[in-house]
Amino acid sequence: MIFNSYTFVVFFIIVMILHNLPFSWKTKKINLLLASYIFYAAWNPVFILLLWLSTIIDFYVGKALYVQEDKRKKNILLVVSLIGNLCMLIFFKYGTFLLDNFLTLVNAFGVDFHPAKPNIILPAGISFYTFTTLCYTIDMYKKESAPVKSLLDFSLFVTFFPHLVAGPIVRPPQLVPQFENERKASQDQIIQGLFLLSLGLFMKVVLADSMLAVAANAVFNSNQPLASLDAWMGVLAFSGQIFFDFAGYSTCAIGVAACLGFALPQNFLYPYAAIGFSDFWRRWHITLSAWLRDYLYIPLGGNRNGKFKTYRNLMITMLLGGLWHGANWTFVAWGGLHGFYLWVEKAILDARKETNKPSFVPKFLLAMATFFLVNVTWVFFRAGTFTQAGSILQSMFGMMPQGNAVLTTLAIWKVGVIVVGMFLAQWLMRNRLVLEVIPKLSWWAFGSIWAVMLLLLIWSQESGSSFIYFQF
Amino acid sequence: MDTNSLKKALLLMLVIVTTALVSWEIRLRKIGVQPTFDAGDVLWSDKRAMVYESKDKVTVFIGSSRIHFDIDIPTWKTATGKQVVQLGIDGSSPMPVLTNLADDPNFKGNLIIDITEGLFFSTSPFNMEEPNKGLKYFKDRTFAQKASFQINKVLESRFAFLDKENFSMNAYLAELHLQNRPKVFEMPIWPWQFSGASFDNQAIMYPVFVSDTNLQVRVRNIWAMFAKMGEKDVPMHGKELDSLLNVVKVSVDKIKSRGGNVFFTRTPSSGPYLIGEQMGFPRDKYYERVLATTGCQGMHFQDYAPTKNMICPEWSHLDQPQSVVFTKELIRVLREEKGWKL
Repeated sequence: MIFNSYTFVVFFIIVMILHNLPFSWKTKKINLLLASYIFYAAWNPVFILLLWLSTIIDFYVGKALYVQEDKRKKNILLVVSLIGNLCMLIFFKYGTFLLDNFLTLVNAFGVDFHPAKPNIILPAGISFYTFTTLCYTIDMYKKESAPVKSLLDFSLFVTFFPHLVAGPIVRPPQLVPQFENERKASQDQIIQGLFLLSLGLFMKVVLADSMLAVAANAVFNSNQPLASLDAWMGVLAFSGQIFFDFAGYSTCAIGVAACLGFALPQNFLYPYAAIGFSDFWRRWHITLSAWLRDYLYIPLGGNRNGKFKTYRNLMITMLLGGLWHGANWTFVAWGGLHGFYLWVEKAILDARKETNKPSFVPKFLLAMATFFLVNVTWVFFRAGTFTQAGSILQSMFGMMPQGNAVLTTLAIWKVGVIVVGMFLAQWLMRNRLVLEVIPKLSWWAFGSIWAVMLLLLIWSQESGSSFIYFQF
Repeated sequence: MDTNSLKKALLLMLVIVTTALVSWEIRLRKIGVQPTFDAGDVLWSDKRAMVYESKDKVTVFIGSSRIHFDIDIPTWKTATGKQVVQLGIDGSSPMPVLTNLADDPNFKGNLIIDITEGLFFSTSPFNMEEPNKGLKYFKDRTFAQKASFQINKVLESRFAFLDKENFSMNAYLAELHLQNRPKVFEMPIWPWQFSGASFDNQAIMYPVFVSDTNLQVRVRNIWAMFAKMGEKDVPMHGKELDSLLNVVKVSVDKIKSRGGNVFFTRTPSSGPYLIGEQMGFPRDKYYERVLATTGCQGMHFQDYAPTKNMICPEWSHLDQPQSVVFTKELIRVLREEKGWKL
């Protein structure tokens, strides 16, 4: 089920009613768990089995890990959990990719092997809930938090529908304590939650789907050389589309959870206002960046073992982070390019520390430069192949003088207005949260802005297209 | 902001949204707009799922926009007591849908295929795009999407403003008609009065369109623009035509082998559009070859008195009163001349 659908509206109303009836807290939690399974099963009921398997394995393995003192047995338990979770992820998400690469390799050595193409459907949200359950067992192994007491609470932690399919990726200490005592949203929380839900839907439906998707698709689905203007507009459109799509989903998730009395972590903090790339990754998909930092970069050694290993660990983290997004080498290249940017930035910052020279470039220009370079990386993220990515990059940098114009003037205006507006709005809001700004508005201004957003949402009449990050 | 102010903001938002939507709906109704359904993948998939009813209960129609306009579904239902499954898709070839039905072992029904030559005798990927999109949606649609469709059905049947093609934000922005750079293709905008779709997926011309020659000229100009775009394309012939006819025959044979019936129809066109079609696709070399290759029966509108002189307001589609006549004649031909038990 997706937030931008009529089914969700009905589903959410029912959930809200049930959650506010005078049931016991345990009954309310069971209601939420059942609702979460319905939310997931409405897409494909069969894959609920995977969710159950992952939940049950990690609940019991997590408990055993926490109490086990024998180091060897502890390691075996951790391996069981890692295998259980990662095998599912590898099979469903990377099975075809691995087979393709294996075939390319053996064919390169002259082996004529052509097995049937497997038809594997990617279960929605598998990358997200696998990371959610993995961090739990790793935390149990390291005894960083106490095991969840009941299977009900653990199941709800894994499955809670606002974050289930596309995050934010939650850690046990962020959500599990909220299930321990009865929670009921205050009137303020419900109104603010509904506003965030409207804002998220506005970002997704109006800005991403209605205004930007057409230009991005026209450019990235084109198989002809493009004029420079079209290539840039297509990339900028995708840049805006992916932000509004994914940040819109996260905003909806936070809003929905708030209406039920729960708090989910922030996932986006105006990433296109970032000054530099470490700042970008503190603002873009924050819960994934934090996960990769805590469960990959730091265990690899982080920055504790000298410069060479720091740079190596940074690159490994970014390459694997890229691969997490999709089973294609273009995603690895996207991660690699971000890793390279982080290298360069680190080298500059280290050199500046040594010479103690302050930066003379205004922050706004640095943010623009960061945004420019981030856009270059999106080419690899969105292009299906390196050939296409290369062709678009050549067009962007004026190496295709005979490139074709494919975008209408209207599409160019839409992209221009929205992307410039997005960049400036993020710059102005870069140190503030939406919910901190609302109290500073008068009630009529807040109500009017909300109404305009909802009217544009209805007016756009985009019907339930899926969120981009569902495929990851 | 305290709770009281938040409540006031919420209330104000509801008042503004409700007032704006009610005003908009009233305005549209005043200019003659009626609630219609978005004839996209979602509605199409709902109809595609209905093809499995026995042939005693339903007849399936495939083709392009002409079959969409020219079969009057209420007339068919009244005359035959049976349902129509309308699977025509505007501006597209029926081949992907024909192949899909042929490859579906559970489809054993009556199938009527419209031949609009420029689209039927084409392998252009552009003409396959919409049918393939519809088929993919049908195959992949989830329980949640089916449920959303049922809710949407209730809303679309009540509100005229819910019409993405004509009254969405993008439809209004397109009306700005900004000048494009040379060689950039932009889909033309059909006037909203041209048609609206019923829940049965029938396209119906608004009466105001039938009485307004300016609107008709606007649509004729769109057909002229498409004709100009394709003037350098040579109509399919030789081996390419043989190959397409073979695909049609294979598909038809599959359906017949399961007990299904297949029938072809050439729906009316008129004016310069018809002349162009007759020049590009002479009847004996195209329409008749389909019948000869497949061994199926057909009805060409020019062979029957009630339909042969039909005038399409914009040269390509029938208005509703004429679609009633065409549908009645088709039923008569099927029953009396072709032996169909309708």
